[in-house]
Formats: sequence, C-alpha cells, structure tokens
Amino acid sequence: MGFLITTLIFLVVGIIASLCVRICFSRGPSTNLLHLTLVITATICCWMMWAIVYIAQMNPLIVPILSETE
Amino acid sequence: MGESRGGGCCPPMDLMRSETMQLVQLIVPMESAHLTVSYLGDLGLVQFKDLNSEKSPFQRTYAAQIKRCGEMARKIRFFKDQMSKAGVIPKELLEKESDIDLDDVEVKLGELEAELVEINANNDKLQRSYNELMEYKLVLQKAGEFFSSAHRSATAQQREIESEDSQQAGDDLLESPLLQEEKSIDSSKQVKLGFLTGLVPREKSMVFERILFRATRGNIFIRQTVIEEPVIDPSSGEKAEKNVFVVFYSGERAKSKILKICEAFGANRYPFSEDLGKQAQMITEVSGRLSELKTTIDAGLGHRDILLQTIGDKFELWNLKVRKEKAIYHTLNMLSLDVTKKCLVAEGWSPVFASNEIQDALQRAAFDSNSQVGSIFQVLRTKESPPTYFRTNKFTSAIQEIVDAYGVAKYQEANPGVFTIVTFPFLFAVMFGDWGHGICILLATMYLILREKKLSSQKLGDIMEMAFGGRYVILMMSLFSIYTGLIYNEFFSIPYPLFAPSAYDCRDASCSEATTIGLIKVRDTYPFGLDPVWHGTRSELPFLNSLKMKMSILLGVSQMNLGIIMSYFNARFFKSSVNIWFQFIPQMIFLNSLFGYLSVLIIIKWCTGSQADLYHVMIYMFLSPTDELGENQLFPHQKTVQLVLLFLALVSVPCMLLPKPFILKKQHEARHQGQSYAPLDETDESLHVETTGGSHGHEEFEFSEIFVHQLIHTIEFVLGAVSNTASYLRLWALSLAHSELSSVFYEKVLLLAWGYNNVLILILGIMVFIFATVGVLLVMETLSAFLHALRLHWVEFQNKFYEGDGYKFAPFTFIFTANEDE
Repeated sequence: MGFLITTLIFLVVGIIASLCVRICFSRGPSTNLLHLTLVITATICCWMMWAIVYIAQMNPLIVPILSETE
Repeated sequence: MGESRGGGCCPPMDLMRSETMQLVQLIVPMESAHLTVSYLGDLGLVQFKDLNSEKSPFQRTYAAQIKRCGEMARKIRFFKDQMSKAGVIPKELLEKESDIDLDDVEVKLGELEAELVEINANNDKLQRSYNELMEYKLVLQKAGEFFSSAHRSATAQQREIESEDSQQAGDDLLESPLLQEEKSIDSSKQVKLGFLTGLVPREKSMVFERILFRATRGNIFIRQTVIEEPVIDPSSGEKAEKNVFVVFYSGERAKSKILKICEAFGANRYPFSEDLGKQAQMITEVSGRLSELKTTIDAGLGHRDILLQTIGDKFELWNLKVRKEKAIYHTLNMLSLDVTKKCLVAEGWSPVFASNEIQDALQRAAFDSNSQVGSIFQVLRTKESPPTYFRTNKFTSAIQEIVDAYGVAKYQEANPGVFTIVTFPFLFAVMFGDWGHGICILLATMYLILREKKLSSQKLGDIMEMAFGGRYVILMMSLFSIYTGLIYNEFFSIPYPLFAPSAYDCRDASCSEATTIGLIKVRDTYPFGLDPVWHGTRSELPFLNSLKMKMSILLGVSQMNLGIIMSYFNARFFKSSVNIWFQFIPQMIFLNSLFGYLSVLIIIKWCTGSQADLYHVMIYMFLSPTDELGENQLFPHQKTVQLVLLFLALVSVPCMLLPKPFILKKQHEARHQGQSYAPLDETDESLHVETTGGSHGHEEFEFSEIFVHQLIHTIEFVLGAVSNTASYLRLWALSLAHSELSSVFYEKVLLLAWGYNNVLILILGIMVFIFATVGVLLVMETLSAFLHALRLHWVEFQNKFYEGDGYKFAPFTFIFTANEDE
C-alpha cells in the first residue's frame, strides 16, 4: 500500500517537474524533447533507488541486533 | 554530405545526434578574400580544409605576410617582457574597440621598439658609469684612510727620530713614510716608487696577492682593506664583495706585469694621488658627478616608464590584432588559387543550419571590400565522413567534454552524453550518499556558479580551472548526493528518523533479547529510505551489504539494457536491419535471460521474503538445470522457466555470431552485381567539384576480416555480460567505504573528543574532524567516486553501442585561449 502511494507521488512529481521545465525553459521542439528526456530519466533513477531500498525492507530476513554498549 | 539517413523514426532531439554537416565550396575574389575570412572567423562556423597540404610553408601564397606578423608578434613579446620587468600592467581590453589598420600598427611597433631599445642602451651605459664612480669613491675613501693612517704613524715616528736625531731634514721622509729605514739615501740610487690602487673581488684577493708576489719576485708591497657592504660591479651589474688594494712597485716592468694581472683578475684600477689636497678635491668632484648621474638615470627611468605606460594602454589591442591577422593569413594560405589567379577557392565543413549566415557574411565582405564580383557559395557532395558537431551550452558542455575524452562520436551516431547528464551524477551519488557532505559540496559549487562572470575572466590555476569548468556537473552531483544521502539516511554518518518513527521495536517490554536475537518489525516499513535503527547494530553490515549489492546489480542491469536500446536506435537511424535482427535482439535476449532473470529473482525474493539462496539458484541453473529446486523455489514452474531461459541464451550466441557476416556478404554482392572488373578511374567526371581525397567507388570487402570482427564482438559481449555486471558492484564497494570512513571520523574523533569534557580537547577534536572530513571525504572520496562513475559510463555503458571514432568540428574562430601563444 505504502509502496503504491509513494510510487504515485513520484509519478506526480515527475509530471509537475516536466511541466515546470516546459513552461520555464521552452525553447523549440527538439530542445523541449531533450529537457523532457532528462527530467524523465532523473525521475526514473530516483524512483528506482527509493523502490529498491523500500522493497528490500518490506520482508526482512535479517533483523537489527543492538550492540552491547547501548 | 552523406545521403539523407534515417531521422524519420523518432522526433529529433537536441544533442542526441551531431548536427547535419555539409561540405561547402566558396569561390572568393582576391580583393575581398581577407575581409571574407575575417568575417567568417567572427562567425566561427566553418572548418576550412587545407587545399595546399603538399606545399611547404614557404611556398604558400601569403608566406611573406605571415613573416610580417611573426615579426610584429616578436616585438609585442619584447614589449610584454619589458613591461613585466618594469611592473607595468597592460590595460584590460574593452569589449568594442575600434578597428585599427595593420600597417599602422606595424609602423608604430617599429618606432616604439627602436625608442625602447635606445632608452635601454642609454640606461645601461649610465648605470655602468654610475657604478664605476661609486667604486672610485670607495677607493678614494679607503686608500685615503690608509695613506693618512700611515702618514700619522710616520709623523709619530718622525718626532721620535727627531727627538733623537734633530739634524735630519725630515720633510722628505713625511712624504714617503714607508721608507723610513732609508734615512740617508743617495739620490742617484733612489728608486722611483709607484703605486696602483683599485678594487679586487674578495674571493680572488688571496690568489691575486700571491700571484703578484710571485710575478714580481716579491718586490712589491700590497695592502688590502675590506669593504663592508657589497658593491655593484660595473661590468656585470650585480653586487659583489670587494677589497680595496694598494700596490707599491718599482720599475716599469713590474708596472706592466701588475697591470696585466689586474686585467686578468677583473680588478678595476682607479687613479689616486698622494696629495691630500688633491684627494679631497677628487672626492668632492666624484660626489658631485655621482649625484648628477643619479638624477640623469632617474630621469631616464621615468621616461622609460612613461613610454611603457603608453605601450600598455594599447598593448592588448595590438596583441589581439596581430594574432587575428596571423590566423587570417594562415587560413588564407589554406585556400587554393584558381587558374586565372583572380579568385581563391575555399573548401570547408559547416553545419547546414549556418548556410544563411555564411552567405550573409560573404555578401557583407564583398560589399565592404568594394569588389565588383560577389562570392559564390556552393554545396558539394562527398563520401567523406563529416566532423561531429554538438551545439552545447554552458550546462551541457562539461558533460560533452567528458564523453569526448573517451572518443568523439562518429558522425550522427547516438550521443551517450544525453543520458550521461543524469546518470553520471546519479551513479556518483550512489557511491557518495551522505546528505551532510552533499550540502557542503552544494555550497562550494554554488559559490562558483554565483561568481561565474567574475571568475571566467580571471586566470585561475590548473586545478581551479578544472573545478570551475565542471561546476554544473558538480552541482548535479551534489543535488543527487543529497537525495541518496536521505535514502541511505546518513548525515555525516548519523541517521535521523526524519519521515516516520523506526519500523523496529523490542519483542517484549523488557527488551531483554535486543542484543542477542534482535528486534522485530512492528510498524509499517520506514517510508523513505533506510530505517534509522540500523546504524551501529551488529547486523548492520550483513543487511546493508546484501541490500547494496543487489541494488548495484539492479542498477547495472538497467544501465546496460539502456545501452543496448541505444544501439537499437542507432540501427534504426542508419537503416541497418541486419543490426536489429542479428545484433540487438540476440543481445537483449542473452543479457536479460541471464541477468535480467537474476534481477527478477531478487525482486521476487524481496517481495515474498523467501529464504531462497540466489547464488545457488543461478549456479545450478547452469550446472544441473534439470534438478529439483526444493527450498530454493521462488515461484511455481520455476524449473521450466529456467530451462527455457537457458535455452534462449544458448541459442542467441550463434545468432549473434553467424548470420551477420553472411548477410553482409550477400548485400555487398548485390550492390556490385555484374561488376567483375574493378572500374576505371573516373577521368571525364573529375570536375573540381569532386573533392580531393574522395573515395573510389569499389569498396574493399574481406569476408574473413568481417567474420573475425563479428567473432570478437560476440565474445566480448558474452564474456562482458558477466564481467560488466560484476563491475557494477563497485557501487556497493565505494558506498560502503564512504559510510565506514564517515562513521569512523565521527565516532573516533568527535565523540571521543566530546567524552573528555575538556574545551581544549573538544576544539582540537573539532579541528581534526573538519580537516579529515574535508580532506578525505570531500576531496578524495569525491575524486574517487567521480573516477569510478566515469569508468562505469565509459566502459560498461558505452561499449554496448558507442563507436566513437569520429573527429570533432574545429571551426576557424577568433576566440583564442588565454595562454595560446603562436
């Protein structure tokens, strides 16, 4: 559940970012396509990293074992 | 220009492929040639080809002009030298200075040089006389002291003698006190004594004395006095330690010997008279002349400084003009002279989008030079491969340089720079992940960016130059580092529960088993990043290592897939279906049926929480694929799936290797159907429109070469699939190193210093912590992660699709680099 919601959040943030870039830096169709590609790539990279770390912690096989001093 | 290739498949994207280039031919009348080249240089969009490459530099048309420019450049260098010696700084060049004529500049430079040389020569002469007079003054003073002290002792002795023997005519003896033993001398036997005074360098003084002694057989008397401060030697102009000497000799022969020895030792002699009155007169005269000379020298230096100031005002302007002219003449030398000797022909590469601008420049030049005829602009067709040109701005140019450092893209092949702009900082950040360090780097690079204008006009050192040039890349790196730092939950290695409380808690209220069996997961998964409870626990490393290794594999497989997909786009653009069917598809199948399957297994294991051993699964998939999986089963029908994937992978290897050479051979034969003989050289078609060095129609096709090439490519890919995937594990390794170093500095330096409860030790601890963080983590680790991210891009990403054997577009332009000197 939390996974889907956060994925949706990433999607929305990506769409907002591309719209912002289109509005602020609009400079001709080929340049716009480049900007869109960059924003999409960045969003996918960030999402992948988050998703990997999240999924790895969903069903853990190892649990934290505190050290002696604390 | 190549025939119109693909481009219809997908909409064009900036920076993805090189700009379309064309080979243009310009026919320029002689009188407007210079102006044309000058305007084209201002435009900076034409790369001229050297049409006179067989000629030596002296045979070219404009060799004389270049010699002229070289002469002027020499004079300018001379001025620069003189100015830096005198400490005059040339005035900064304003943006729009009025244009000046080269002949005027030449004349002016000649005049100024002659004047400067004359002033320098005069100055040297005056300075020399000044130094000589200084030495003379010293000689007068010291020798005077010496004579007067001898005189005093002589008078003392004289009075003694007179008191004993009062009839002596002691007046003569006062004049020659050293001869007091010779009281009664027969005038005929009286020897004529002469003396010489001068200065000798101190290190040679002993040798000097000894040689004089030996040369004159001991018949001289020499006295030396030390001069305390070093004296400026007139001939060398440097300070030297010297002694004043007085040599008494008898006879002409001894005199000539002494003179020669003095010359040999570089001992300067000065005349000295015994008469006290004359001595005092000489001293006042010399002092007067010294002060005169001083004022003259000062006036001369002042004059020279004014001259240098006037030079300094115009220096940068002249410098730029001369360099521009030299560049223009070099370019003019590359144009070939038409048969009628009335016009010049130029050939060069230029982007298609610049055609209008170039034609505009040609028209303006023809108009401005009042020529009767306009220039002709013509596009040529050729089979040569054009240079690669990407239009970059200050943001993308740094990344494009990084990509070009490995190899410049072939004309119109896909540019990895497009994705590298994002993936390079991202992979850097995966290895660097700490949002505290990220903020530090962000602050540093924001300073560089905010001071852009000022810093770009200054001359920075080598290292600062590189850091400044890459400031936008470093900005991206720092932003991504902050993101990954939040995900790894490290702020100078301290985790914070920023988004929600930790998901783990004790099993029971007493927390008795926290240190033996551990906590359990009671709440929802920590929503963003790594749970903060892990830091400092005993099972932190096994968990993190497993997580990061699997993350590296997943990221690596994604990037490699992206690389192979880029090769698909290339194949579609160049309309090569053999590359699609027999390279792209087998490569995708091979990589994904092995390592894509591994990635899927990782995700399934994480989602289901199964305890299957993935090493075991992968290895036994190859060793004994028909075995039962038992407890390593992650999803139903896994065995069947594995068998199918294994079969696909094995089949795809010969698919990569065998069909392509045969198909290429068939295509080659179809193209040259019926051409059993090699065609004759095209004689009547050789208009000068056809470019020099154009390829002939019949291409070479060696089947064995193609086959071996394909074999190497296949082996590289198959073996590379394993080694490249493993290579991505460096993402894990560097990230582990970074977090461990950061943790050590925090715990063993800062916390240790805190524990002493002493302000001094705390301050010392903080200083050490700051230095260690900046030196090791912010500088060394940044460089290290930069290097490894670069290697991952250059090798693992680019060898899936990049050929990189093009050459860069180098237009003729007047933007000189700061230290470019001839």
